[in-house]
Amino acid sequence: MPESVVVGEEVWKVYGQGETQVPALRGINVDIRRGEMVAVMGPSGCGKTTFLNCFSGLDDITRGKVTLEGTDIHAMSDRLKTEYRARRAGFVFQSYNLLTILTAAENVEMPLLASGVRAREARPRSVEMLRELGLGDRVNHRPSELSGGQQQRVALARALVCRPAIVWADEPTGNLDEEGSRQVTSLLRQLNRDFQQTMVVVTHDPDVAAACDRTLRMRDGRFVT
Amino acid sequence: MTDPIVLFAATTLGAVGAVSAYLAVRNRLSLRIALRNIVRARGRSVLVILGLLVATAIVSGSLVVGDTVHTATVHYSYIGWGYTDEAIYGTSSSGGYLYFSSIVANSVVTASANDSRIDGVSPEIVGTVQAFDNTTGIPQTNLYLVGSNASQSAALGPFTSVSGGNPGSPAPGSIFLDKLAAQDLSASVGDSVLLYGKFAAPEKVGAIVQDDIRGGFLTAGVSGGSVFVDLATAQALQGTPQEVNFIAVTNAGSQESGVGLSSAVSASLTAALATIPGTSALSVHQVLSDSLATAQSASTSLTTIFLVFGLFSIIAGAMLIIGIFTMIAEERKGEMGMLRAVGIQRRTLVLAYYFEGLVYSAGSALAGTFAGVAAGYILLWFYVHTVPTPGFDVNVLGASFTFSSSSLITSYLVGFLLTLATVVVASVRVSRLNIVRAIRDVPEPLPPLRTYTYLAYLGGVSLAVGALLFLTTFRGSSDISYPVIGGALVILGAGLVASRFWKNRTVFTSVGAGLLLWAGVEPLHDWVLGTGHSGGIFFVFVDGVMLVAGALMIVAFNGVDLARSVERLAAGRKGATPVTRIGLAYPSRRAARTSISLTIFALVLFTIILLAVYSATLTGNLNNSVTSQSGGYTFLGISSQPIPDLPSKVATNSTLSALYSGVVPVTTGLAFVSVQGFSANPYHDNLFSAPVNTTAETSFYATNQFTFQSTDHGMSASAVMAELQSNRSVAVVDGGYAGGSGFGQAGPHPSVAPGDMIEVENPGTLAAQNVTVIGVLEESIVGGVWLNPSTAASLGYLTLNGYFLTVHPGVSSTLAAQKIKSAFYQYGLVLVDFRAILAQTTAIISGDIGLLEVFIALGLAVGIAALGILALRAVTERRHEIGTLRATGLTRPMIIKAFLVEYSFITIVGALVGGLLGLLVVYNFTISPGSSAAYAATLFVPWWNLLAVILVTGLLATLAVIGPSLRAARLPPAEAIRGVE
Repeated sequence: MPESVVVGEEVWKVYGQGETQVPALRGINVDIRRGEMVAVMGPSGCGKTTFLNCFSGLDDITRGKVTLEGTDIHAMSDRLKTEYRARRAGFVFQSYNLLTILTAAENVEMPLLASGVRAREARPRSVEMLRELGLGDRVNHRPSELSGGQQQRVALARALVCRPAIVWADEPTGNLDEEGSRQVTSLLRQLNRDFQQTMVVVTHDPDVAAACDRTLRMRDGRFVT
Repeated sequence: MTDPIVLFAATTLGAVGAVSAYLAVRNRLSLRIALRNIVRARGRSVLVILGLLVATAIVSGSLVVGDTVHTATVHYSYIGWGYTDEAIYGTSSSGGYLYFSSIVANSVVTASANDSRIDGVSPEIVGTVQAFDNTTGIPQTNLYLVGSNASQSAALGPFTSVSGGNPGSPAPGSIFLDKLAAQDLSASVGDSVLLYGKFAAPEKVGAIVQDDIRGGFLTAGVSGGSVFVDLATAQALQGTPQEVNFIAVTNAGSQESGVGLSSAVSASLTAALATIPGTSALSVHQVLSDSLATAQSASTSLTTIFLVFGLFSIIAGAMLIIGIFTMIAEERKGEMGMLRAVGIQRRTLVLAYYFEGLVYSAGSALAGTFAGVAAGYILLWFYVHTVPTPGFDVNVLGASFTFSSSSLITSYLVGFLLTLATVVVASVRVSRLNIVRAIRDVPEPLPPLRTYTYLAYLGGVSLAVGALLFLTTFRGSSDISYPVIGGALVILGAGLVASRFWKNRTVFTSVGAGLLLWAGVEPLHDWVLGTGHSGGIFFVFVDGVMLVAGALMIVAFNGVDLARSVERLAAGRKGATPVTRIGLAYPSRRAARTSISLTIFALVLFTIILLAVYSATLTGNLNNSVTSQSGGYTFLGISSQPIPDLPSKVATNSTLSALYSGVVPVTTGLAFVSVQGFSANPYHDNLFSAPVNTTAETSFYATNQFTFQSTDHGMSASAVMAELQSNRSVAVVDGGYAGGSGFGQAGPHPSVAPGDMIEVENPGTLAAQNVTVIGVLEESIVGGVWLNPSTAASLGYLTLNGYFLTVHPGVSSTLAAQKIKSAFYQYGLVLVDFRAILAQTTAIISGDIGLLEVFIALGLAVGIAALGILALRAVTERRHEIGTLRATGLTRPMIIKAFLVEYSFITIVGALVGGLLGLLVVYNFTISPGSSAAYAATLFVPWWNLLAVILVTGLLATLAVIGPSLRAARLPPAEAIRGVE
């Protein structure tokens, strides 16, 4: 059985203070194994994105413990957390979050450069990644010159170029049409199989969930069976 | 409300207010949105107002400085002339006042007796006198002698002793000294003083009086000290019994109100003079009102200089305003898109934006007006405490600090309209908002082809206007700014037309290069436009703006390559590439927005460095200036009575011969110079001529080192001097005739060129002769016309009372001056120390430039504020992107460094562009045929000062950006990605 990659123990996230406290995560326990592709589903406001942010180390937790590849992510300093993200994590967002001033290739190579890869090595790797995702002819295009589906594929390339252990995807198909959505979902599945990367996909889309190995359902900050 | 400025301001503000109020009543939703936007982020609103107020502050500061200088100069006009509103006098051939019979003067008194507009008429003697204080043993030359009759001069006001009492009037045997004269002689009341005019007279010091009203008669407090005596004593001293040379007339009313009658009283006195025999050489002068007009002119000139140099900072301020509103529009794009999507009309949003801008404009213009007053006060404080102002009491300038209501209103109006204009432009931009793109934060697409078609039409207009301006002004003597602007419009117009057909980068890089060549290559101006054009301070502004615009076009359209080059340099260091890439991507790929910050920095640094280098060049060329101005001599001596055979007297005096190596006597006098086409003929000027009776006199022509700005047919300096010695029909004139301002020259001055004919008349003998100008000297400190010795003699210039003196190398000029003045004080010997005057003038110019630099530094404040504000807005605008970068692995220090790289790039490129172009403009000045070769022979670059400016700018810029950078780095990634504030 593959080892645990994402482990959460009694994880709480509470926004606000005193009487205005809003618990977004209420004692989450979860165990996701290497190479698993997991969908997180639930109604709006149930805490899906908070779960993703807290478990990926983008946001702090209030209580509990999150272990990524055996390391307590919230015990790390900000610098180590950031370095961990650069080397071992990839992110895909609903609105792509590409840097509009950079070309597709420059966007993709940003995590490589951040993790210390030299520019002359980073460029061929990012171009290769874009080719793998069918964007070989869009390498020097800016995001504004690409369609929504193409932009999301650039975002995928950026998330995967470092061959991260874990890919965190927040509504990756939320802004796409049916065809774009289908392409991105099958890409995620294929990459997960090819590279044995763990993928945590927050989604509303049942087709995306159907493509995953298992689905975690959330309600009021808790996973429900 | 009769002041036209106030009226215009009230009308304009009223119109804007009425239209805005009407729009507000009809569009209450817009008003509510605007007020909500202002109130919901008070901190940001304050920041915006602070950013916007700078342009207004610069206008206000300039006007306040002008107001204060005006008040101070008016103060000196009132001190200088006291209660004297008009003066009646004639001019003698030596340049002094012409003596005339007391009977004539008494006739004027009688004729004016029944005129209710006249309070008093006082016949006087005004001249110079030498004094020796027997008690202290100190001599003093060239004191002003004022002799008046106690009863007739009563209307001029009472004397006030330094202790505040009324000492009465000087009686026979008793003199009054003003504070300056007493200080020069170390005199006290009761001292025995020997006065020397043509005759000597022992006197007692009866009182020491204050330098105002009576005590400050004519020039006291500004030039030399004054001695007041009774009229009979003055007549005895000057050897002119029963004669006077000056009639002071006091109008009814106060100093301020009396001057209002000057025109009418002057006409009345002129009519009266015409009926009195023996007054043909006399005329009435409205001395106080003329002096006040000069004061007005001086303060207007200073205000103009400040405003023109301030224009660079005002443009920088305007760019900042545009930058702020562009960023606010960008930041709110999504929100405005949503409002549009839920049914808010486009007009409502545009008006909301307008109302918000209106509040900012009104607030910032008000704050800026008062900030400018404060800045003006600080500047003047620095000025009076740091800049040498000989003869100018620093307390007067300090105490004269003032600002007129029209200055405040003008500043407010300019600031308000400037800000509002940019708000309107920004509102138009908002009106073009595409709802979908705004909501989805999709960048605006490239402009369609039709935009370039419109630009081509605009280019066509620019081409036509430019060509017309150029063709109508490129020959002649108009201000060089006009043909240069015409040429620039042609280049720009051609570029706009070309942009319809070719790539922007190629076209606008070429336009930038064209502007740089056209504005920056001085010989090109001379070749295309000739050397006949005049140039002034406005040209510095025109040239500066064109150069900066040209350079920044090249940078803006080639920024990506520039950024890549820098990125490659940093590629070797671990973690440096993402930092430099992100840091440089924003300024290099958002050219329009970056241009705003770059323009601000480039313009401000251009001005500061131009002034610093210009000041250093003037100071650095002091030695060249001294030689060309002095002809190689140390002093020019002028005595009120000729000193017979001064060269022999000096040679045989052991003290003086140890100090002086040479003495060349010259003839001096007053000349009336008539130049064809000059409106104020005849021009009153000095006359010089070196006789050839002795070896010393003759050697002057071969040994003097005077240099020429221009000579007839390019003759050498020695050839000109040889021609002057031998040819009776030629003359040499001082540098003031070249059309330059020279030293201390005010009012209109005739211009001549070598080969021109002028008429020189001796006003004493009325003999005149036409002579051809064969050389225009660099010299302009003393100024005047040099004639051939025979010509001068034939016109009646026979008084040998001028002396060019040379001291031995290493001898202190101060000591040499003291010794020769002591030896010949009874002749009224006065010395002009060329080096001291030039050093003092240079120090004053440098001080004035320093003041201007401090003022321009306000512009630097604009630049720094711009960086800080734009960086702060950038953090808000880029929250999403910063969050993404943090998620993809950029650490906090990397985010900070990326921000610092971005703004360092702007600062460094702006400083480099501005600094290098500032240097170029001063270099052009040094090689320009229109500028004096002596004052600008060599370019002096104050490298350490420039380094200090760059370092201080860099430090301040870093300080301004570090806060926003830290804020960006501290953004929690998850919240930043979600766009939560």
